[in-house]
Amino acid sequence: MTTDRTTAQPAPPHAAAVPSYLISNAPFLHSLEPARTIYIVTQVAACGPLVAGLVFFGWRAAIVAALAIVSCAVVEKAYYRCTYTPALLGRSHAYLTGLLLALTLPPFVPWYVPILAAVFAIVVGKAIFGGVGHFLWQPALIGRLAVAVMFPATMNPTAWPVLAPNKLLVGDVRQSRPMENYRRWSAQPAPPGADAFALPRPTTILGGLTTGAEPAFSGLATKPENAPPNKGLALMRMPPLTDLFYGATPGGIGETCSIAIVLAAVYLIYRGYVKWQLPVAIVLSAAAVVAVAPIRLAGAGQEVRTVWLPLLAEGSDAGLTYVCYQLFSGELLLAAVFMATEMTSRPVTTGGQVIFGVGCGTVGALLKLYLQVPIPFYMGVLAMNTFTPAIDSFWRPRVLGQKRFRLPPPKIASRGSRIAD
Amino acid sequence: MLRRCYGTFTGGIDLPDQKSATLNRSITPAPRPSRLLVPLGPCGGPTAKPLVAPGQAVEAGQMLARAAGGDAMDVFAPLAGKVASLDAVAAVAGPYGFLANAAIELTDLGECPAPASPATHENWIDCPTDALMQQLRQGGLTTHRRPVEPLATWLNKAAATRCDVLIANAVEGQPYVTADHRLLTEHGADVVAGLVILARVLGITKVLLAVDYRRTGSYQSLAQAAHSWDVATIALPHKYPIGADAVLVHLLARRQVPPGGTATDVAAAVIDPASCCAVFRWIVYKQRATHRVVTVAGEQAGRHENFWTPLGYPCAELARRTAPSEAGAARAPSASVVEPIIHGGPMVGLRCHAMAVVTPATNALLAIDEAPQASPTTCIRCGWCTDHCPARLNVAILNDDFELSRVNHACRLRVAACVECGVCSYVCPARLPLTERVKQLKQAAARPLPVEGT
Repeated sequence: MTTDRTTAQPAPPHAAAVPSYLISNAPFLHSLEPARTIYIVTQVAACGPLVAGLVFFGWRAAIVAALAIVSCAVVEKAYYRCTYTPALLGRSHAYLTGLLLALTLPPFVPWYVPILAAVFAIVVGKAIFGGVGHFLWQPALIGRLAVAVMFPATMNPTAWPVLAPNKLLVGDVRQSRPMENYRRWSAQPAPPGADAFALPRPTTILGGLTTGAEPAFSGLATKPENAPPNKGLALMRMPPLTDLFYGATPGGIGETCSIAIVLAAVYLIYRGYVKWQLPVAIVLSAAAVVAVAPIRLAGAGQEVRTVWLPLLAEGSDAGLTYVCYQLFSGELLLAAVFMATEMTSRPVTTGGQVIFGVGCGTVGALLKLYLQVPIPFYMGVLAMNTFTPAIDSFWRPRVLGQKRFRLPPPKIASRGSRIAD
Repeated sequence: MLRRCYGTFTGGIDLPDQKSATLNRSITPAPRPSRLLVPLGPCGGPTAKPLVAPGQAVEAGQMLARAAGGDAMDVFAPLAGKVASLDAVAAVAGPYGFLANAAIELTDLGECPAPASPATHENWIDCPTDALMQQLRQGGLTTHRRPVEPLATWLNKAAATRCDVLIANAVEGQPYVTADHRLLTEHGADVVAGLVILARVLGITKVLLAVDYRRTGSYQSLAQAAHSWDVATIALPHKYPIGADAVLVHLLARRQVPPGGTATDVAAAVIDPASCCAVFRWIVYKQRATHRVVTVAGEQAGRHENFWTPLGYPCAELARRTAPSEAGAARAPSASVVEPIIHGGPMVGLRCHAMAVVTPATNALLAIDEAPQASPTTCIRCGWCTDHCPARLNVAILNDDFELSRVNHACRLRVAACVECGVCSYVCPARLPLTERVKQLKQAAARPLPVEGT
């Protein structure tokens, strides 16, 4: 027997003469897990980072999230009403898109930003491709990218707020004051007349290591001999890692609380909606790039040292801390757990997902290190989403019984519709 | 019971077992039928030539029709009765659906017997191999699973490819079905002896009997016989579809069936226990294979039994006798040609035609609670079909190929390797009929190209 169709045996003559009554429609059993469940469970998982965001960014975050979710649902409803196409799978995916969009937005944005982002997410990201199951790029990221391009100054100010410990959940993030000698979040009382600290984002501080005409740092954790006293140590300027773990650091609503994101990831992997290989591939490849890619440090006087392999350059302690800072600051975890795992826009096979994840992590880390774009890992995911169809057709697992090394398949004359005839 | 570590396979799924209703019900005679429609071609192929006339009384085991040649087989009367007509039509299960087949209608039937084990039996151990082979070819035996083929054909294929391993596939991984399990429990020694007869005829020394490890406690009598005949009994994990031929051969013989091929292509012969039992009963007791075990089960069935059923028993009647409401079921045949009964296991079975009869392939008739047919939505590319495919096919891409009619592309993805287990449809959260689509692609790919210029 062979798969070569030109040599396939014709059906025995009596088979055509006997009428076939029924085509079977087996199986008659189905698992009780409709597609809507997938989206609802993902929404539940996404509520963890959202709640953390509400705690650390107060009621303005709640308004931004509500605006994003409601406008996603309204835009989807309006689009399908206007175009007379049925909305597939109800509106659960629209709610999910709005929720994910809310997680990526900063908490202090004006009211029109989430609405515009939702319009872009639903119309440009999803509906014009044909809705659920057909889009190429993750819709929430399309919305986030659109507002990042339209309002660059609003979306990426130099100082970002985070509520003070005694103003959690009820404070106003826009009432923020810059802090002198900010060390760690829990040690600080609220500044007088304000609810929030205005701080540079950790990613901005780390960005000084790889770009900029004048490197600000003379070392990661140890200062070289005869370094000028006005050049600082990079890791000394960062808040402690624990702040990044539980989310008391400036950033998007759902981006900062690493613990909530990791718990959500564990839940989604347990439910089987996310394969562990994809987020792990993203995080590991980003870590590998960060551990190897060169950073620029100020030496004595005006000279600039280019240090490769920062993981080992100043001992593994400082190197590991540096890599952890790079991984836990910014939106890497949210992108790896919620954005890259959007089912429609990621490859289908496990191997394809690993390729996709390595691409996301590498592209995102390089964008973060050397181009200083505001949302590097989101752009990495969007960039790799573009290649999803290519990865799907390129990566083919070996079918049962297929030879390990095979000749190219024989050329077959093309014919039109084969199913109908 | 030997339980070696044979590993497992990529893909597959744990199905709910749901066999408790009939698992411990011993094989009982079927209720007396009002009529039998004995198909003249139980394999769905060419039919035999009738030897009887309408009105004639026949004995149980009497020859009703003689093979005219080719693949046709002799047909025997399962029960004593009277020939009512010669031009009845019965629907027999073919590879992709029910096929119309000419049948002999028998009425005024006697009671169905229980599977008897007469005291007089032939000594087959001292019988020369050639004589055994001759007897097997004359027995009118078939294999007992879909697609049904004459045992002589199966033997010829296995001999022609010089098979060196014989596997009896008693895994029975589908929910509800317990026919093979009961056969092994009550007639385990017969099954093993039948398997040994086939192995001797084919000259195979490596003989395996694969069973489900959760059922091994019931097979004590079988273990003794298997030990004395040097048949390796292997308990396999419960993971559907471990009983698919390609998967079973891959696990037990470490050979991969080429896409579109069968197990004999890699010199492995796979047989089912019902056929082994039929071989034993024919060789030793000289009883024709005119009955088989049929599990009648399902939430909607009033009775849950393993019936020793004569071939040609109308499926609707066997299941209707056990249906809870007599009036509702009686209306069904006139209202539609489709019965709410499933022929075979729920994962690979067929929906019963009104004229369907029990053939050697009928291991179960199920009246199960079917969820109301949710309309399929669009594929969201979750990839579960691809993850669970035992043949490691990329079913999500094959679904695209179906929607775009890209048969050549599907060929390149080796669609012929599909084992038609139904797992992709089972897990699909969008309720797409993926198994159906892949089967159609497979058939389209197997169809020869038209000659150029026609």
